[in-house]
Amino acid sequence: MIDAIFSRRFLLLILLTVLILLSGLFATSFGAANISMLDVFTALSNQAFSLGEITAIKERIIIELRLPRVILAFFAGAGLALSGSVLQTVTRNPLADPYLFGISSGASFGAVIAITAFSTAGSFALPVGAFIGSTMAVLLVLAMAGNRVNQQIEKMLLSGVAVSFMFSAGTSLILYMGEPQAAASVLFWTLGSFARAQWDSLAMPVFTVLGCLVLFIGFKRQINAVLAGDESAQTLGIPVARLRLFMLILSSLITATIVAHCGGIGFVGLMIPHLVRLSLGASSIGSLWVTALVGGLFLVWVDVIARTLLTNQELPVGVITSVIGSVFFLVILTHRKKGS
Amino acid sequence: MSTPFLAINNLSWQVEHHQILKNINCTFPQGKVIGVIGPNGSGKSSLLRCIYRVTKPCAGGVFYQGNNIWKIPAKQYARTMAVVLQEAPNNFSMSVTQVIAMGLTPHKGLFSFDNADDQTILSEAIKRVGLSEHADQPFDSLSGGEKQRALIARAIVQQPQILVMDEPTNHLDIKYQIQILELVRSLGITVIVSIHDLNLASAMCDSLMVLNHGELVYQGTPEEVITSKRLSDVFGICCTVQPHPQTQKPNICYYYGYQHNWQDEYDGSKKQELKYGQNHD
Repeated sequence: MIDAIFSRRFLLLILLTVLILLSGLFATSFGAANISMLDVFTALSNQAFSLGEITAIKERIIIELRLPRVILAFFAGAGLALSGSVLQTVTRNPLADPYLFGISSGASFGAVIAITAFSTAGSFALPVGAFIGSTMAVLLVLAMAGNRVNQQIEKMLLSGVAVSFMFSAGTSLILYMGEPQAAASVLFWTLGSFARAQWDSLAMPVFTVLGCLVLFIGFKRQINAVLAGDESAQTLGIPVARLRLFMLILSSLITATIVAHCGGIGFVGLMIPHLVRLSLGASSIGSLWVTALVGGLFLVWVDVIARTLLTNQELPVGVITSVIGSVFFLVILTHRKKGS
Repeated sequence: MSTPFLAINNLSWQVEHHQILKNINCTFPQGKVIGVIGPNGSGKSSLLRCIYRVTKPCAGGVFYQGNNIWKIPAKQYARTMAVVLQEAPNNFSMSVTQVIAMGLTPHKGLFSFDNADDQTILSEAIKRVGLSEHADQPFDSLSGGEKQRALIARAIVQQPQILVMDEPTNHLDIKYQIQILELVRSLGITVIVSIHDLNLASAMCDSLMVLNHGELVYQGTPEEVITSKRLSDVFGICCTVQPHPQTQKPNICYYYGYQHNWQDEYDGSKKQELKYGQNHD
């Protein structure tokens, strides 16, 4: 019976991978310019093996504009879902979310300062400012949480909320005092977008997500054991307090990197782990791979909708994740209630 | 003198000037079932937490084969000692097999996967506690007794020399209380278990430790420890003790109605203080 679980999970992984590759091709063909999936395929084979013929303009749109965007969307979704899943597990709190620990408000604060201080160099300074801001917020939460196992979760969550409010207040104050244009660009940034995706800037989010995924998989037994309670995990020889801080650092690193590149995309980190568990059953919660792939798949499609729903205008990704995600989630929740 | 298998030497623990455990000394022989009994708040759980290396005592310590357990790395100690806690965790969506597989953790390095040997250990442990048919179910769907059995299977997978259990039979029907204790007896390892039900403790344990107000007041075989005088001293109750018809171990028959001064009839000692016997003239 144990083999059956593993093979079922293996099938699921293969299915998801195929789905993601197809979605990637499909998503790349969507957009303002008229490009077919065959064009995408030809452009890719042309790049890789110099096979096939395609117009230079189409190839540029596919390779330079759309492909990095799809890849960024995938890794952003995978990373946010992963860090949400890990944080929910190690804090045993179903509402834990990468943004709960002050990361997004810290990032907004940093972004606002960057925009108001270096208005000319905005496009470069904004992600850097956001990254510094979120790092500051997380360091504050980490310092508050401490290394004592007993009240660590409580301190982590409460200081996260306090730090969020602190940075939001700072952001509001600066925006209130500053120019309306700065407010508009900060708002646009907070709602999230993959429009700035470029090959040069892909490396950092991709390697951060992959690196953290490898570490999460390495610590999988320890992370899951914390679910049974701190004391129970300690009797298995796990240094619970240290593990929890380390996982918070990794999740924050992922989230800060993604927020700096794509803005604040809510909902994914909070809900994808629940979605995976609710729709795929108890035995898949341990599967970080599944969570990552589902998260990535979700944001690839959200980005397709963001690009195509309105003609000549792009919708903010954060709005769509929240709308689609919450409706989908409520549907699954009611369905599960009836089922069980 | 040979080093004892597991020993507690001069162990004391206090929280903010409140003395919880006072100068406890005892040794645990290998392969025996040792029951820890005592009234609520007597320090049973605190003593067990010192033994399973979660609470660090203020003075003295616990020694495994002569080594202070705080000098032994946590992971190595977890291969020696498994713990089944008082209450089964709830609200976590894992399958029974996944919960039991947690017991492999101290034997595994980072990035290691379960191999064929691990699978054998897992399925044997599941079979041993009679949960083979429930292996793929969510842990939350099990009954209280089944949850305890699953956690014992987790402990078996840990392959320990010592099993510590903090009131594992709480909230269980009497059938499962007996079943759980007979199951751990059959493992043949050292078991240190705190039990509320004194008759159960008497029938199932090779020796008993009695704690009262943080002190180890009596220890020995059930026959030595379970006497009506001692039970009335420690638990503030009146009872008679007779050999159990089946096991010949001491079996307690409690008396009720604490408005009446039973102590006059049984001990003839008026000095003795009973918790619930003071209102009656």
